[in-house]
Amino acid sequence: MTAGVRITPSLVARLVVLAGAIVFFALAPLFMSNFRQSELVLVGIYFIAIIGLNIVTGYSGQISLGHGAFMGIGAYTTAILVTKYDVGQYWTIPLAGLIAGIVGFLFGFPALRLTGVYLALATFGLAVAFISLAQSTRFEGYTGGGGGLALGVPTTPYYLTWSIALGMFVAAWLLLRGRLGRRLRAVRDAPVAAVSSGINLALVKAIAFGLAALYAGVAGSLLVIRTGFVNYLTFPVLLSILLLTGAALGGFGSLGGVLFGALFIQYAPGLSATLPHVPKESAPSVMYGVILLIVLFLMPGGAAELVRRLLGLLKRLTGPRYSRRTGERVVS
Amino acid sequence: MTEFWEQIVAGLASGGIYATLALALVLIHRATGVINFAQGEMGMFSTYIAWSLLYTYGVPYWGTFAITLVISFFGGVLVYLALIRPLSRGGDIAIVIATIALLVILNGGAGWIWSPEVRSFESPFPIDRIEIGGVGISWQDLGTILVSIACVIVVFCFFRFTRVGLMMRASAQRPGTSRLLGIRVTLMLAIGWGLAAMLSAVSGMMAAPILTLDPNFMLIVLTYAFAAAVLGGIDSPVGAVAGAYILGVGISLLGTYWDYVTGAPELELPIALAVLLLILLFRPAGLFGRAVVRRV
Amino acid sequence: MRKALLVALCAATVALVPVALGGSQAEPGVTAKIITIGGTFPLTGVASSYAPIPKGMTAYFSYINATKVNGKRGVNGRQISFRVEDDAFNPQQTLQKTQALVEQARVFALLGGLGTEPQLAVRDYLNSKKVPQLYVSTGATTFGFDQKKYPWTLGWQPDYQAEAAIYGKQIARNHPNAKIAIIFQNDDYGKDYIAGLESGLGSKKSQIVATRGFNVTDPSVGSQLTDLRRSGADTLMIFATPGKTIQTYGTLPRIGWKPENIYLNSVSATDTFMGIAVRSAGAATVNGSISVQYLKDPANTEWNNDAGMKLYRRIMAKYLPEANANDGLYLYGMAKAYSFTQVLAKLGATPTRAGLMKAALGSTFKTNPFALPGVVTQTSGRDAFPISQVRLIRYNNGTWTAIGQLVNGRGK
Repeated sequence: MTAGVRITPSLVARLVVLAGAIVFFALAPLFMSNFRQSELVLVGIYFIAIIGLNIVTGYSGQISLGHGAFMGIGAYTTAILVTKYDVGQYWTIPLAGLIAGIVGFLFGFPALRLTGVYLALATFGLAVAFISLAQSTRFEGYTGGGGGLALGVPTTPYYLTWSIALGMFVAAWLLLRGRLGRRLRAVRDAPVAAVSSGINLALVKAIAFGLAALYAGVAGSLLVIRTGFVNYLTFPVLLSILLLTGAALGGFGSLGGVLFGALFIQYAPGLSATLPHVPKESAPSVMYGVILLIVLFLMPGGAAELVRRLLGLLKRLTGPRYSRRTGERVVS
Repeated sequence: MTEFWEQIVAGLASGGIYATLALALVLIHRATGVINFAQGEMGMFSTYIAWSLLYTYGVPYWGTFAITLVISFFGGVLVYLALIRPLSRGGDIAIVIATIALLVILNGGAGWIWSPEVRSFESPFPIDRIEIGGVGISWQDLGTILVSIACVIVVFCFFRFTRVGLMMRASAQRPGTSRLLGIRVTLMLAIGWGLAAMLSAVSGMMAAPILTLDPNFMLIVLTYAFAAAVLGGIDSPVGAVAGAYILGVGISLLGTYWDYVTGAPELELPIALAVLLLILLFRPAGLFGRAVVRRV
Repeated sequence: MRKALLVALCAATVALVPVALGGSQAEPGVTAKIITIGGTFPLTGVASSYAPIPKGMTAYFSYINATKVNGKRGVNGRQISFRVEDDAFNPQQTLQKTQALVEQARVFALLGGLGTEPQLAVRDYLNSKKVPQLYVSTGATTFGFDQKKYPWTLGWQPDYQAEAAIYGKQIARNHPNAKIAIIFQNDDYGKDYIAGLESGLGSKKSQIVATRGFNVTDPSVGSQLTDLRRSGADTLMIFATPGKTIQTYGTLPRIGWKPENIYLNSVSATDTFMGIAVRSAGAATVNGSISVQYLKDPANTEWNNDAGMKLYRRIMAKYLPEANANDGLYLYGMAKAYSFTQVLAKLGATPTRAGLMKAALGSTFKTNPFALPGVVTQTSGRDAFPISQVRLIRYNNGTWTAIGQLVNGRGK
């Protein structure tokens, strides 16, 4: 654990928010149908995945368009262990995360040589290659080829998903507040200075990738447990784009926005189907693109920035006032 | 031995499909430093427009071809001015996200306007084959290859021998100085995007007869085009096209002579992407590009 | 703090919707006036060529809802509300949409769900929830074969193994020296066909000299076909969905291969798809192709004066005027919708899910205006394949003509 976490009002506020969210999600199943719960399970899965994406794109500034592939690695790991080796499905979750994380870490090392856009290309390639590899006859013995792998009846692992989500959220928060977070931000904002002060760039970038992939792997594992089935169509390129949209919308570099992004990914397609005049099958794609553009042009910080701005506005309207004459705070 | 040459020919035919798109990618990158993830979808959208001209309005093929190119040109200009230029101060991530956004909008939009089911798209070349030195090749493949070579020659000559081409090269390399010299840099860059959009349209119209037309058909072409462009040199037009053919032939030969891949053609795409990754790691400038020193 | 409120507000709104919906019914999806059913179809994505099917189904239901029988509209006085959902052929989406249909929209039954993998992905779920998975739009043999294990699931169309067995018998009898090459979709769908072909060939199984698989997401099938050509085969079997079938035809002249005989599976053999194939590959390559059919072909003039076909065209003109009525997929949808109304009618005034399955599993319907004359829809304790009769057809210059009588693929 890192040294000295300062207790500030902002920190207290955030902890209260966190507590509120925990209470909400813990009690939700009591007044929610099974279907709503299964929807929230998916929200939880996306939540975990986007935390990972945030770490690599938001905090360390590396663009990843291949997040769906890491989810896929986690999903297939779980599916293979369950169907071929009879491992209990819940035990496979950490393993799925670990394997995805290792692959991400190894991918991260060469990524040092690749800046910004080239990395986007490489990760895009990963997302596409994954689909081809998952359906390949060469690996059919393991992956089930085109038919995929079936685990059994779909489940609704509500508490499991959200406890994992909570745990991983707290872990990410602690990591990012500490040394690793500072190093990641240094790599993102001032790489030359970072190297000069002795940070091992390759290692930090690789760790960021590995962490992100680990999160995605866990999310993918939970997804296959929930669905009971996986094949090469489960993780299309559009999913990676969707995750990126959710992360951007929530606000890169902000863990708080991640939940918003996850809710968006789950509910936006359904909402877009209600748009008039747009055939419901095309609506989601067009909508994601438009929203991405809106975020880019108007709200680069995503929902988190929007909220911050609103809060700032609120603060200025209701906060402490300062005397114009003496500059001192006026206590009324 | 005939089998060897047939595989070479098959490889050239594959390469021909994405060579023109690779050229478009390089053009954009050289002009504005952007990797346009939506390049394939722009070509797809243009191809759908061509489809409407051909089959809904009955415009004859070459008329459709010309009109589509003109529309695509203005489409490219519009994308640059409305989307790319305003974001160019936002940094790399912003532009990548913008082109991704464009990709999904065009993809969904095409499905919306034309409905997503598979269609045919005619080729200007006859269906049969000819024999050259004992090896057969179809007119379609030959035509596609020749068109891509024609495109790269046109682009090369345009940049080398015309005034506008010179102004565009100046705008891309030294925008500040160019402005001081009175060159309208923004206009030049917009024209560059327009030209690239035209090339994407050509690529789409050449690929559609072979791959059949649906909103997703250019995504794979785009992936191979990326690999080809990076292989040949992301800043070299000739390199991009050469890269496409080298990649196409290389994969074809691998598929024939390496047992692991024979009978598993779905591995060809991952192989192309592995090539992409290796080049990015060890020789980012590609085979024909100039090496650029990158700090950190 | 306020950020939390924002999030909580969103979540709470979402959570309160089911509370608002409330109200329990005797049987889900059934009210006095309306019966609600649903289905998942690939409206987008790699299999979107099948999108006309749910449109045909909806059109037929609209017709039924508007037509008075014994003074009442609909079936037994109830109108049918059909909810079509897009799963983009992604089984994960199929599960989500199916769950939404069952748990949120609370449909009476799932009808006509399309795709072997997508429907397999929800079979366990639907059976565990005791929701009918009726007349799935796939001929995968397991849907009929394993019906006893999955009592709430039933297929509809002639199954793939039986279809391919007919091809096998045909080849073994008429072309005993033919060398067969197969290009197939690399999943349960394609493998079903191969198993059927082998069983139809029987002792002549060795006639198969080469097989090559592909995946729906592959860009082209060039290398597979080149390999198959190299095997020296003279007969090509195309076991693929429409998009890839068209690509296969288009690739043949490019690689310079003209097999003597081409067989293709019936799901891809509509006039519309063949027309696209001809435009891609030229008539010379496509003419002579053989397949089977069990429904009337709207593009064939032989049905011009047929009452069933006239009904089809009337419905298309009224409810889908912009659509290409010659596309057999719309007719497929209508035929299936008709089957459903036949079964529903038997349930009388109080339909139940269990009653629906009982009726579907133990009825014989001798006519369907959209199916070929003589095709019966019949199931019983030992036979869970409702439709199993087909006839062989050959394609020439824009039309399919019959080259045989109705045969029963399941040997009933």
